[in-house]
Amino acid sequence: MEAKHDVLVIGAGCAGMRAAIEAHDAGADVALLSKIHPVRSHSGAAEGGINAALGNASDDSPEEHAFDTVKGSDYLGDQDAIQILCDEAPDDVYQLENWGAVFSRTEDGRIAQRPFGAAGEPRTAYAADITGHVLVHVLYEQVMKRDIPTYEEYFAWRLVMNDDRCQGVIAWDLLHGGLKSIGAKTVILATGGAGRLYVGTTNAYACTGDGMAMALRVGVALKDMEMMQFHPTTLAPTGVLITEGCRGEGAYLLNSENDRFLKRYAPNAMELASRDVISRAEQTEIDEGRGVEGNVLLDLRHLGADRILERLHGTRELSMTFAGVDPIYEPIPVRPGAHYHMGGVDADVWGQTSVTGLYAAGECACVSVHGANRLGGNALMETITFGKRAGRHAADWALSHTTVEVPRSTETDAARDLKQLLERTEGERPWSIRDELATTMHENFGVFRREEQMQEQGEIVARLRERYERVVVDDKGDVFNSDLTQALELGFLLELADCMVVSGIARKESRGAHARPDDFPSRDDEHYMKHTIVRVEDDRPQLEWRDVTMTKWQPQERKY
Amino acid sequence: MAHAIAPVPGSTTMELALKIWRYNAETGAKELRRYEVEAPDWATLLDVLDIVKDKHDGTLAYRKSCRMMICGSCGMRMDGAAVLACKTRMWDIAQSGHEPVISPMGNLPVVKDLVVDMSPFWGKIRAVKPWLEPGYDEVAEKERIVSQQQMNVIHKEALCIMCGCCVSECNSMESDPEFLGPAALAKGFRFVGDARDQTAPERLSDLNSEHGIWDCTRCYFCNERCPKGVDPRDAIAKLGAESIKEGIDHDMGAKHAKWFVTSAKTTGWLRETELVPKTQGIVSAIKQTKFALGLAKRGKVPPPVPPHVADRVKESRALYNLVKEQGRDGALGIVQGEHALGRIEFTEEAGVRELAPELQPGVEPPHAEG
Ligand SMILES: Cc1cc2nc3c(=O)[nH]c(=O)nc-3n(C[C@H](O)[C@H](O)[C@H](O)COP(=O)(O)OP(=O)(O)OC[C@H]3O[C@@H](n4cnc5c(N)ncnc54)[C@H](O)[C@@H]3O)c2cc1C
Ligand code: SF4
Ligand code: SF4
Ligand code: FES
Repeated sequence: MEAKHDVLVIGAGCAGMRAAIEAHDAGADVALLSKIHPVRSHSGAAEGGINAALGNASDDSPEEHAFDTVKGSDYLGDQDAIQILCDEAPDDVYQLENWGAVFSRTEDGRIAQRPFGAAGEPRTAYAADITGHVLVHVLYEQVMKRDIPTYEEYFAWRLVMNDDRCQGVIAWDLLHGGLKSIGAKTVILATGGAGRLYVGTTNAYACTGDGMAMALRVGVALKDMEMMQFHPTTLAPTGVLITEGCRGEGAYLLNSENDRFLKRYAPNAMELASRDVISRAEQTEIDEGRGVEGNVLLDLRHLGADRILERLHGTRELSMTFAGVDPIYEPIPVRPGAHYHMGGVDADVWGQTSVTGLYAAGECACVSVHGANRLGGNALMETITFGKRAGRHAADWALSHTTVEVPRSTETDAARDLKQLLERTEGERPWSIRDELATTMHENFGVFRREEQMQEQGEIVARLRERYERVVVDDKGDVFNSDLTQALELGFLLELADCMVVSGIARKESRGAHARPDDFPSRDDEHYMKHTIVRVEDDRPQLEWRDVTMTKWQPQERKY
Repeated sequence: MAHAIAPVPGSTTMELALKIWRYNAETGAKELRRYEVEAPDWATLLDVLDIVKDKHDGTLAYRKSCRMMICGSCGMRMDGAAVLACKTRMWDIAQSGHEPVISPMGNLPVVKDLVVDMSPFWGKIRAVKPWLEPGYDEVAEKERIVSQQQMNVIHKEALCIMCGCCVSECNSMESDPEFLGPAALAKGFRFVGDARDQTAPERLSDLNSEHGIWDCTRCYFCNERCPKGVDPRDAIAKLGAESIKEGIDHDMGAKHAKWFVTSAKTTGWLRETELVPKTQGIVSAIKQTKFALGLAKRGKVPPPVPPHVADRVKESRALYNLVKEQGRDGALGIVQGEHALGRIEFTEEAGVRELAPELQPGVEPPHAEG
């Protein structure tokens, strides 16, 4: 064992850093561990904002925030958790401001708030179009102020189980090489999403669902894994997010026939309809042959150069850099891309999992506040509020317990398995498996889910997992061996894909992000107002159901 | 960036070759290796490196994450100038047949291939006490009341993604590795300029000491190479202006700064050769000459005679105006950053319009939804 701490937080995005700060302030000896430097975390890519009922732009209340969230979740969100989120959100946002977050301001100098999809009031606090960036940096400033030790560029690989408790992690030290075992009385997973399961995704290369897979491997359940949100305007071909602001400014979505096709799907709201509606409309156009090389076109030209330069500069830069298209002269090719994983590690309102000492927070967790469909601005809020709660609970627990032990056998097992991988010289390089997984998930488990495609995807994943058994790592060195860590990430992704497919097949209804247009086109509250819960037993995902927690909101039809 | 040059994304591929400086940390061996790859038309430098790593050589090391110019992982040099790999499109380069040389960032120790040790970078960030000092411990009940205009003062500095591109190119850092450097100083200004911070005088005093703001040679490479339009040199100028205002101008540099303004206004380029004698007198000017010559050798400063007049007089005038506007009233001023950069580039390319007006103080920068 290299070191030990009261609390070890794996992942240093908004959720991880907020958890570490809270644990530190509660008096615990806490450390952060992250495979990339904290400020490189993908939380920094969030543009739009963070939701809290501050009431700065209108009369708003946590109650209304909660109702919008429950309804937005298509009634799959746990209402007790949602209430906590919405009640604690305002103070948590004030806290961020007090630490120095550079929020945009109202005329009278308060935190500005603006309308966001499916929210009854202008509730989204923001910092220009760099909200996530601002939050990541303010949290890292507070981490530096507290001098919280950080294992930078450490790749967490295995959770340490001892005495039926999670007592640390085994990680690969990227800069220096070698496995390091770090003991901790409590471990918080804050490793973010798994968008890399799809070719077109708004997620970073680091979003490979590591924490979810690590939890799964020590017997913790994953919840609602079929619920992957698709964003309607991601740039072809890489999936970089093109902001909803474009449509807000009046951009058109066109098909290959130069037709504003949304008039057939959402004749009133048109381009301003909700994310899932537009994603499905786009996919239908593409599937029915009215796409442009697998995309539809986002046309800004009629807005004029001035407006584009003034209001949508960032979008113009992104599309010129990543697609070679200047939106002043040409429409931007866009398509639905994997954006946010509502599912994740099954955790309660304090972030606790079913394993003592193991917590989860942020996008890798499923508490669940987003249910089947996340509202824009709620994800960042979740990272802060539930990051804080997990940090608090983990610190309190750690301070009342004493022992930490990483069994020698855990270390030697890990070293042996890794050596085996590194010494293999005959076999396949990981990239072809990675690319095949991401393409087939997009095709067979994307915006629409069809029984036979999901079945087929299950078989594809099984074959890819077999091939993965013989994967070869080129780099045998110790220093910055990203070849090795990328291979390990692929292993995580494959296991998650399995769980998603199993959950998707079982949910025989359409709810939120899970759309089955052919066989089960509507929501079925009687049978499926339940969470899917997946565990791995004998190497195979096993599925159970759990009722949604309801407090005061009865399901209604989700119509906007 | 020219428009309408590329095919529909994904419709074709390109062939290109590039040379990468490989460095093996375990043996210390260095080698310039050439790779030929086929890449999709839309590929960036980062995509090309990914292809090399996947299909040619899995041992190649570089950092990446967001691939959308926000995480700051992928700073490296292409043909000797720092870039973000994910921001660098390769189509034009491939079409021209040029074979770019890719190397790690400068001024930071190399760990392996294109990966540098960022700890000296972060050490300097920490040295400027990069957190808000509100002057009280207890959290206020609500947010503090601050106008948008006050927040705009630090908008540009808040854009910094800590990629290190500026530090890689910094002249002063080359001769004085202890120099705090552009990124840390921009971070310093982020707090000095924050209306909520109660410690500006202490901060300024720290930043005025040895290895601080006056060690900057005003070469402007940081501004030029910054991929986010932070313009660290402008932040340094603002810190200088604030220092003068606060009476912390005992240092030679304050005088230097006044000359800089004149120089930039008249010639469109900072005339180092003229600047040095005017502020420090002939004797110390001779001492400085060696340094200036060293810079000239690397092509970093225009030769002593005749006085160099930069092509972009207009841009420098804008810069002058920026400094002037900050003046002795402090740094409250212009929101420029990426938005303005895009506008300048666009007008230059299209050649159709005069410089569009800057965003005005008090007007909130455009925003987007995620
Ligand atoms: C483009 C984009 C825009 C968005 N916009 C918004 C928005 O406007 N509003 C909103 O509310 N939400 C938005 N979201 C969603 C939101 O940003 C994310 O859900 C949230 O930031 C996730 O934060 P996190 O802390 O859970 O994870 P991340 O920020 O992704 O951090 C994960 C951390 O875990 C570490 N890690 C992962 N695996 C390992 C491992 N094996 N070992 C060690 N460390 C590891 C990483 O290094 C990283 O530090 C957006 C998402 C995207 C992609
Ligand atoms: S202007 Fe100053 S800080 Fe910027 S690169 Fe030159 S010497 Fe360094
Ligand atoms: S100032 Fe610019 S170049 Fe320097 S670290 Fe910040 S973003 Fe990078
Ligand atoms: S990969 Fe994030 S800035 Fe380039």
